Amino acid sequence: MEESPSMDDHQDSSLVVGVGLCDSAPLLWRLQDLKTVRSLGLVGALLGSLPRTPRQNQRLGRPLLLLPEEEKLLRDEEAAGALPGQNQDVGGVELQRRFEEDQQRSFEEQSVLALEDRKSALLRAMTSSHTGSESGAEAVDEALRRRLEALDHSFTFPQSAMAVQLSTARAGLSYCPEARAHLQANWPIREQNSPRSDARCQVFRDLRGRGFFLTSAGKFGGDFLVYPGDPLRFHAHFIAVCLMLDESVCLLDVLAVARLGSNVKKTVLLCSPTADGGVHYTSLQWSGMV
Amino acid sequence: MGFSENGKQYLLPEEALYLMECGNVQVFYRDLPLSIQDGYERFLSSATVSLQQYQVFGHLKRLGYVVHRFDPSSEPSSYARQLNLPQSRDRAGRQLKRKRSPSPTATCSYTEAPVEPTVEKMEEDKCSLEGDHVKKLAASPDIQTATTSGSDEGRSWWTTDDLGASDKELHHSPTSRSSRWDFSSIPFPDVGSSERHPSCLAPPEPSLLPGDLTVGVCDIASWRRKINLRMVKMSSKEQKREEDKRRRRWDVNKDREVRRCRNWAEYHELLARRQRKRKGRPAHLWNREVTPLHDPRQPIPTGELLDKISVIKSTHLLEGASRLKGSEEWRICFNVYQPDTVADFKKSNPGKPYSRMCVCSFDGPVPDLRVIKLLAFQSGDIPVVFAVVDHGDISFYTFKDFQLPTDVFP
Repeated sequence: MEESPSMDDHQDSSLVVGVGLCDSAPLLWRLQDLKTVRSLGLVGALLGSLPRTPRQNQRLGRPLLLLPEEEKLLRDEEAAGALPGQNQDVGGVELQRRFEEDQQRSFEEQSVLALEDRKSALLRAMTSSHTGSESGAEAVDEALRRRLEALDHSFTFPQSAMAVQLSTARAGLSYCPEARAHLQANWPIREQNSPRSDARCQVFRDLRGRGFFLTSAGKFGGDFLVYPGDPLRFHAHFIAVCLMLDESVCLLDVLAVARLGSNVKKTVLLCSPTADGGVHYTSLQWSGMV
Repeated sequence: MGFSENGKQYLLPEEALYLMECGNVQVFYRDLPLSIQDGYERFLSSATVSLQQYQVFGHLKRLGYVVHRFDPSSEPSSYARQLNLPQSRDRAGRQLKRKRSPSPTATCSYTEAPVEPTVEKMEEDKCSLEGDHVKKLAASPDIQTATTSGSDEGRSWWTTDDLGASDKELHHSPTSRSSRWDFSSIPFPDVGSSERHPSCLAPPEPSLLPGDLTVGVCDIASWRRKINLRMVKMSSKEQKREEDKRRRRWDVNKDREVRRCRNWAEYHELLARRQRKRKGRPAHLWNREVTPLHDPRQPIPTGELLDKISVIKSTHLLEGASRLKGSEEWRICFNVYQPDTVADFKKSNPGKPYSRMCVCSFDGPVPDLRVIKLLAFQSGDIPVVFAVVDHGDISFYTFKDFQLPTDVFP
């Protein structure tokens, strides 16, 4: 885990989140960025393998993928900026020197730790094998001391046995508010100007403003899943389907989505943005005869 | 994972990135190790492997599958596959028919105990029996023992007879050929008896029939109704009623249509028309250019009749698929093989994949029939699975070919 230079809490509003673009998808890499974004009420989706347990699909790790609506929200609140791309060689030679220094330091630390580890293992082995006999206690101590001394002299820690760390986010990034202006200038304009995406954005903004947490709901046949609080603590209450006010919907689609909602125990919300900036909500409930 | 070329080991970008995420591989670029972020930004693009495709790749690898890139040119075409089909099934069947092994159990697993001794005996007496009969018996003991388990009794009068005849021939050679039929054991169905009998006769043994003649069961229900009728004594009143009915029905001169006939020719025509109508060929349907598809007087099984009159022909998924040209957006990305514990997978000989993946997203269009046909054709006989990526969640869908069942008894 990479630790960035810590910022005080009262400067939360000026925190800028660095967004990296991978294959035109907005990704968050730094841990502090993830915390910031969650504190703003945006959930996103984790994509990568979890470093400690990489071969499972239940809990994934960084990077965090943002919804286009989330990205737009961040940009509008001026809380996000593009991270410098890979082509910018920010002091290549400098980085290499620093890398080698880090490796050397890590190697020295690890060799010390390895020696201590061997000594304690030796101690355990010697004492456990001679716990029974008390007469040879002195002889045991003497042998132990000699063995430990030999170990001090002859122990070598090979370079190939060193543990290396693979960093998740790119190293060499400074995290300070002066970079905000620079970052924003680099933000690529990737707006999808379709009425549908505008409707989605407006609905997202409105629901977020009311305190709901939203995630993507493709596999539920809707646009968003609406949680009353953090998704880690609650189940979703609504499936939000965004429509224009004047859009005509096939009745079969309405029936299908109502059925689906009742099967997964969520209420279906038909959301339509109005001209004055608000959003009109209609909920579908499948009831019996009356 | 990976492949070797020119003596060096190479890794594909998605494989390298996956191994980096698992912490097994460190990739150096310009003497500096790449971070995971660098890996994502450098290795994934729409030109190589897109982010969505990598998500699917990682998901499957973490589950344990072996995932390789799909190369459409390395798949054999349908014609090549046809040529390589093994014909062993037919050959084995024919061998089963013609083999003459001493022990019937070796060739045929349905041999039954009571038939065995007779078969063996037949084999031994092969040399002394007449040529044709021997060949037939010995040639088809396997099939017969396989199929005619129930009609042992039907067989016995014939086979034992032959042996009996052979024995007689061996021992009493000058004796004239006496009747070879044991009439006491030939079942003659008693159709006329009043006790309950099945209303159909079993078909005769196909080996007794000449050539390719096949005879089905014989339905004797209608004949049985006509026998064992007894004379009904009617009272005089009933007799008169019967006569009146007959008279009323059969008064030809009162028939209006008959009156309209001006000569015998027309009358014959009228009779012929009525005959045809009764037999199911009404004139208004059959005397025009467009006639019905099927003449009801011809017997035909129901299944064939349904096929004959069907307007919509059922088709299967691969029909017309070879004519389709490939499209840019929809293509198969990966071959997925099951993990080593389930199937044996070797890099040199991977075998058939478990399925093939096509990656798409919920934002994009649903694959239409054209796309499904195209991908199914490219894939051959392996199912194509659509992995739909939705911001971190992956759902897998597959389309299966389905034939509507026809509810028809033959």
